[in-house]
Amino acid sequence: MFGSLKDKLRGVKDKLGLSIESAAEAAPEEPLPVEMEESPAPVPAEGPGEEAPAPEQKTAKKKSTLAERVRVLVTEREVMLDEKDVAEPLQDLEIVLLENDVALPVADAIVEHIRSDLVGRRRKIGASVDTLVMDTLKGALLNVLGEGFSLTGYIDSHERPVKVLFTGVNGTGKTTSIAKIASYLKKQGYSVVIGSGDTFRAGANEQMKTHADRVGVKVIRHQEGADPSAVLFDAVQYATAHNIDVVLADTAGRFHNRANLMNQLEKIRRVMKPDLVVYVDEAVAGNDAVIRAEEFNNAVGTDAVVLTKADMDPRGGAAISIAHTIGKPVMFLGVGQSYDDVVPFRPEDVVDELLREED
Amino acid sequence: MLDRLGSGLKDALKKLAGKTVIDKAAVDELVRDLQRALIGADVNVKLVMQLSQAIKQRALEEEPPKGMSVREHVLRIVYQELVNLMGHGAEVQLGPQTILMAGLQGSGKTTTTAKLARYFQRKGLRVGVVCADVFRPGAHAQLNTLCTKINVPCYGEAEEKDAVAIVRRGLGELKHAEVVIIDTQGRHALEDDLIDEIVRINELTHATHRWLVIDAALGQQARDQARRFHDAINIDGVIITKMDGTAKGGGALSAVSETQSGIVFIGSGETIDDLERFDPDGFISRLLGMGDLRALVERAEEVIGEDDVDMNALLKGKFTLRDMYKQMEALKKMGPLKQVMSMLPLGGMDIPQDAYDVTGQKMERYRVIMDSMTDAELETPSVIGGSRIHRIAMGAGSSPDEVRELLKYYKTMQRALKLFRGGGGGKFNMQRMMKKFGGM
Repeated sequence: MFGSLKDKLRGVKDKLGLSIESAAEAAPEEPLPVEMEESPAPVPAEGPGEEAPAPEQKTAKKKSTLAERVRVLVTEREVMLDEKDVAEPLQDLEIVLLENDVALPVADAIVEHIRSDLVGRRRKIGASVDTLVMDTLKGALLNVLGEGFSLTGYIDSHERPVKVLFTGVNGTGKTTSIAKIASYLKKQGYSVVIGSGDTFRAGANEQMKTHADRVGVKVIRHQEGADPSAVLFDAVQYATAHNIDVVLADTAGRFHNRANLMNQLEKIRRVMKPDLVVYVDEAVAGNDAVIRAEEFNNAVGTDAVVLTKADMDPRGGAAISIAHTIGKPVMFLGVGQSYDDVVPFRPEDVVDELLREED
Repeated sequence: MLDRLGSGLKDALKKLAGKTVIDKAAVDELVRDLQRALIGADVNVKLVMQLSQAIKQRALEEEPPKGMSVREHVLRIVYQELVNLMGHGAEVQLGPQTILMAGLQGSGKTTTTAKLARYFQRKGLRVGVVCADVFRPGAHAQLNTLCTKINVPCYGEAEEKDAVAIVRRGLGELKHAEVVIIDTQGRHALEDDLIDEIVRINELTHATHRWLVIDAALGQQARDQARRFHDAINIDGVIITKMDGTAKGGGALSAVSETQSGIVFIGSGETIDDLERFDPDGFISRLLGMGDLRALVERAEEVIGEDDVDMNALLKGKFTLRDMYKQMEALKKMGPLKQVMSMLPLGGMDIPQDAYDVTGQKMERYRVIMDSMTDAELETPSVIGGSRIHRIAMGAGSSPDEVRELLKYYKTMQRALKLFRGGGGGKFNMQRMMKKFGGM
């Protein structure tokens, strides 16, 4: 995941650095905080493929008093970055984000964040452009991705059984993720029980049972069509009676615009009183990721996010979109078909990896 | 859903209203809005750039035909370019054929396979289904359960790990079926051995159609995935699933453009009948705020017998409680009201949201209440006064408030239906669309 974004970000970073550099180069000719003029910014319609010419700079013609000149000469020389210096690279950045599945409103927000961070910044001529740009980009991305979330840390610091409820739309991989997380927790030495709360989809019970057998975990299930709240309540009861550490509660996939199904989910939450509500979505989702994450968050709340199918997609924009929209940490990434293919998500590692220079 | 992409486009076009000359600034603005609308709907960014370049160029260079306003001219260009983007509608023959389903994990192949089986079954064909998903636990149980409900034979082997062998035996087992649909395991294009497997299944079956199932929420990745599937088994049709959510399905457009195929079906709900045929004209007219009448008619003919809803009377605006009763019965078969409404040519008219908020159970309650009404009351609802409301409530075992609520709902519906009188007629018609936009 994120491979493609990584390549593109480097391009944008270089370009941003370049235009700041050229803003700085213009400065020594005039020992003043100069105002830069740039060739008019191209309309976004021009497309991303276009080679960006190095921005031409005109030296400012503004006259200023001798006193001011002296003051600037005495203090350290600085350049002031203005809107135009960063306009074009930021437009490229926006396209890069969009191409990598970051949802439109989120891409807008990130670009805005970087713009306001850079514009008006005074940069000492000596300071490294690279560091400036890197810090800004890194800050913006970390700001969006937030902190990670350690499930084992949470379990250790809370009363057992810890009840985890999984929600999400159809086909995002809730059932498979639960099997993977069960296997992960088991390897870490926790005891786990699964509640097969998807009583709607044909074959869901069988799927959960097979998974549970394979990873060696007990599964509580009723028949197809049963009340999911009842199943999950039973699962919690079982865990309490048998001193089990974690209850993983599956639910049927549902669309956030179905009032009845969302009410059902709300009822499940009321009945089983989960400690954590985990929202599951897929890394390949586009703009809709934002809408549904928000709706689920509004309806039943979300404490953490699991992002599945990350092996399919080198872009990973959905992680950024969802994290930014609901401000909740990504807990795990699903990265393949086997039970071990689940990895805890660490934003710092991801951002470092994204911005790391190829050696 | 698509109507949101539609409203994005409409907003963009509105800005051209009243303009007499095409100026570059206005077109630039339109194109920028269009880009945002399409990217926001998950259409591939590169595709959007190509499309907007073409629109911009044509809008500025082509002379508007005489008598056509600037906005109509630009609208026509946008429409034509969108049609190009969408490719040709894929044909679905109602004859013997083998269909191979392909797609990413969790895109809805198994559910769609069952829906397709139902579709062909309703058209009077003998259908058989093969479950070639040897990986996901419960896949066979799922397909088998769905097929049993509609009495379609489903071949699968619980223990066998070789999908190709299952398909070979399945084809032998189902040789009497006219339409054979093969459900496969979800895979993505970076899994070489799975791609290899589906290539071998394709060679074995000589499938008439190889349909790619795409989740409406799939983002920019759609284009790459579609290309690789296309390279492997030559995709000749795309099915968009989960269109009943809020996703706009732009990813599927990218897939269509990449495979040079067309969208065959749209999956739009959780029951087995929630599958619609697709035609590009209708799709775009819906995109632009026009209803897709043809899809509605096709669907209505199938589900509703003659004695059910009289569409003509409805369109004429005569609408009694009895019609509403029949309509509720029919709706139970046709799916959610909103879905039906979105297929009618309402020209961007907004149905009040509370008209949709009547849930299935509510409908059932209403039906019981109406059962307690006299013929006269059903035909002429205006005669219902306080004492009649009381009597009806007693008869139906409900409260007078609930009866009043029903009458209020009836009035909302009546008002909504009156508004689209005169929208009937056959195929999509450019002229009429222009008028609608003109009046906007």
